[in-house]
Formats: sequence, structure tokens, C-alpha cells
Amino acid sequence: MNQRISQDKNVVIQSLTQIGNCGLFLLTLLVAVPRSLRYIRETIRQLWFVGAMSLTIIMVCGLFVGMVLMLQLYHVLSIFGGTSASGMVVALSVYRELGPVVTALLFAGRAGTSITAEIGLMRATDQIDAMELMAVDPIAYVATPRFLAGLIAMPLLTCVFCAMAILGGHLVGVTWLGIDNGTFWSNMTAQVDLHTDIVNGVLLKSLAFGAVVSLIAVFQGFATPPTSEGVARATTRTVVASSIAILALDFVLTAFLM
Amino acid sequence: MSQQRSSYAVGTGLFIVFGFAALAYLATQTTSIANVHQGASYTVDAHFANIGQLKDRAPVKIAGVRVGQVQSISLEPGQEVADVKLSIDKRYDRIPLDSVATIFTSGLLGDQYIGIEYGSSKKTVTDGGTLALTKPAQQLEDMLGKFFGAGGVADNLGGTYTVWARFTNVGSLSVGAPVKMAGVAIGSVQSIQADPVKLDAKVTLAIDKRYNQIPDDSSAAVFTSGLIGTQFVAIQPGGSPDALKNGDEMILTQSAMQLEDLIGKFLVNGSSSDSKAAGNGKSSDTTPGKH
Repeated sequence: MNQRISQDKNVVIQSLTQIGNCGLFLLTLLVAVPRSLRYIRETIRQLWFVGAMSLTIIMVCGLFVGMVLMLQLYHVLSIFGGTSASGMVVALSVYRELGPVVTALLFAGRAGTSITAEIGLMRATDQIDAMELMAVDPIAYVATPRFLAGLIAMPLLTCVFCAMAILGGHLVGVTWLGIDNGTFWSNMTAQVDLHTDIVNGVLLKSLAFGAVVSLIAVFQGFATPPTSEGVARATTRTVVASSIAILALDFVLTAFLM
Repeated sequence: MSQQRSSYAVGTGLFIVFGFAALAYLATQTTSIANVHQGASYTVDAHFANIGQLKDRAPVKIAGVRVGQVQSISLEPGQEVADVKLSIDKRYDRIPLDSVATIFTSGLLGDQYIGIEYGSSKKTVTDGGTLALTKPAQQLEDMLGKFFGAGGVADNLGGTYTVWARFTNVGSLSVGAPVKMAGVAIGSVQSIQADPVKLDAKVTLAIDKRYNQIPDDSSAAVFTSGLIGTQFVAIQPGGSPDALKNGDEMILTQSAMQLEDLIGKFLVNGSSSDSKAAGNGKSSDTTPGKH
């Protein structure tokens, strides 16, 4: 029993240490931003990798999220005879919650894991140490470009996701279920607000999620024990920690922004 | 190597352009850009006795066409009318001074907006001017209240005394529902119990001590606020000289009216005993059962 308690205590202390280290790491990253401007090409390469290469999965998922949302809403709203509002509800729920959150979760799975695994393997194979020997700052060359790339890519990916979700909703609602095309758009434009929904909902949230996911991914990569098991664990931790952070942050942001 | 790099750069550039294109699509095609972006406009004041659910940036319409939006809603301390500032597009600068600003509801349950009905004056309102003629928001509760004699707003409650009443049907009345007299909340429902002997509902009402002059032959009725709103108890004062006291019973009660029953009454011209009227309404005046 005593041992159990001390184990629990250890877990708490470990998690606190992790969070503290993560915060310090964020500071190092931000301080390294001016230095990493020299490696702007590296940032572009990372942006290509985490952003452009994620487009396919984001677009397909966005399409299906919009389609299934419209299908569900149509059936619920038809009880009240309010099917004409379903386009609007799809738009609002995608902009305010589903778009940023699902994109961030996909981003953590698609880009976050590979960032962690790549940096972890760099550590395991002593590439990071080699860089230091060659007087190349690994934070400015490896960490910051990936962090910045994630920060830039997330809002753009979220916009693409939302646009695809609207198209998916349109496809199911108008083409299949027979909601009037004009009603679909006019109800949506009447209720969606540029400031609260697009700027606060889509852009601000996704920017925050992008920062959190890429910070966790890069941090876990650098904190990896240099073994193959360590890399595997770190990759898992990236997904777990990112998911929790995204959903918790989403609640906080919604509470403050709405 | 540089070939490789430039292909990354091109792809990344495409990605960024694509992302911004999606953002532009979201912003222009799915939002009411007009809500934020406005051309030159001028401001007109209007005072309303009741703004209902009117919100900032609600549309201002003439003949049903959007010409501007509500800029701000404020209530000056010491005044009993709300000061609503309307920002109207410069193009519509010939609104007669005696035009009437009315708060309308789009549809039965929709958002509220301000409709301006043109007057006949030769003078027009200018920037900073005031539309003197206004009609406040028609509350659905008020409208139904005219039919049913109920509706109003809640009030702060101080000390209370309790009376109780029997209803054959309380509908979906819940504990905590308001008790209203003349549409004003004077108390709340304290408890609802089914009587095991008389097989009806015994409802205990907690009424504010300030209202201790309610005649003891007043009647209590279960009403619905709005069409699909919550239910409340309405007290209709009687004429007795004696007032209700703590623990008294209100003898005269009227049970909850079910919307189905009401519609049924219309459809079958008042044969209230037919509880299935709503369903059979259409066929009941032809041959029953032939359907």
C-alpha cells in the first residue's frame, strides 16, 4: 500500500517535471526563432512535409465529417421540421469545434508522431550530438523549424478541413437529402459570423492547437531516451499528450472565446 | 540538391495558397460578410419600450430588405426605455422622419430584427436623428397572454408563504416553475405530489410575502409560456374580501391545457370530450372509421 502511494507520488512528480521541462523547452524554442531564420529553407521543407503532405488525409476526413454530420442533423432536425437549418448547424459546429479539434487530432497522428520519431532517431543515432560538434545549433536547425512549420500549417489545414466539411454537408444535404440549395447557403450565411466563428473559432483555436501539438512533438523527440524502445514510447506519448492537451485546451478556449 | 529544394518550395507555396484560398472561401461564401463589413453609414436613434431578444448587429430592414444593422443597445439609468442605435447604409438616406421602427421576429421562433415602415413626412432623418415612432417587440408570451391571461417576467423573491391546490392534470409543470399573477412572477412551485387517495396532483405554491392580499376564492391555472415554453401556475384573483393565508387550499383550479387538446377543440368545433380529436380531426366530420 505504502509502495503504491509512493508510486502514485512518483507519477505526479514525473508529470509535473515533464510539464515544467516542456515549458522551458518552449522558451528555448522561442529564443531560437531569430537564429533559425538562417535555416528558412529547412522550415519550408518541414512545412511541405507536415502541411502539404497532410492535405490528403485532412481533405478526406473533412469531407466525411461534414457528410456524417449532415446525415445525423437531418434526421434529428426533421423531427422538429427544421431541416432547412441543418446547413447552418453543420457550419457552426464545424467552425467552432469539430474543424479545429479533429484537424489537430489528425495532425498529431500524422505529423506529430513523425516529428517525434525523426528527432528521437536523430538522438538515438547521435546526429544531434554531431550537429553540436559541427557548431550547428540543433534547436535552431531541428526543433524550431518543425515547431514553426506546425504553427503555420495547422490553421491552413483547418481551413481546408472546414471547407471540405461544408462541401461534404452540401453533398449529402442538397444532393442526396434534397434540402433546397438556396436555403442551405442563406441560412448558413445568416448565422455564421466572421469574427466569432471564423476568426475566433477556426483561426485562433487552430493556431493554439498547432502550437501545442508541435511543441509536444518536438519536445518528446528531444526528451527521447536514445534507444529503439525509447523512440517507440516517445511517439506514443506524443499522441496521448497531444490528444489530452487539445481537448482540454479546446474547453478552455471555448469558455474564453465564446 | 537545389532542384530538390525548389520543388519543396513550390509545393509548400501551393499548400499555403491553397490554405488561404480555403480560408477566403469560408469567409466569403459561408459568413454574413455584411454583418462586419459596412460601407458608409449613418446612425439613427430609436427608443423601445421592450427590445425582446434583439441583439447587437441584428439586421435593420425596410420592406424586408436589409439596409443596416443594430449598432448598440443600451438602457440609460433612470429611464424605462431602451436606447437602440441603428447604423443604416448611406444609400438609404431618405427615410421619412415619421417612419415607424418596429421589432419583428423572423418566423415563429427566429431571430429578431428591426423593420422600418415608411411614414409620409417630407422631412427625412439625418445622422444622429431619432425615430420617434416605435413599436416594441411583441413577446409571444404577451400575445398568448392576451388569450390566456398570463405572461410576464420573473421577479426577485423575498420571504414566502405557502398555499396548495389540487389539479387533475399538471401537464409538464415542474418544481421551481414560476407562479404568476397578472403575468408577474410572485412565487414558485415548491412541490408536486400525487395524492394516493384522491388520485390527483397536489401542488404546493410558495408565494412572496408581499402579495398577501390575494382573495381566497382566487383560482389557480397551469399555463404554458409561449408555444413550446415551460409551464407555470397563473393565479386569477377572485372577489372575496378574505385573503389567502399560509397553508390554505386554493379550491378553484384549472388543469394544464394540452396543446393537443386545444388544437383538437378547434378542429372538431369544441367537442372537448373527444381526447383523440387531434388525430381524428380531419375525418371526424365525414364518415368516422372509413379512413
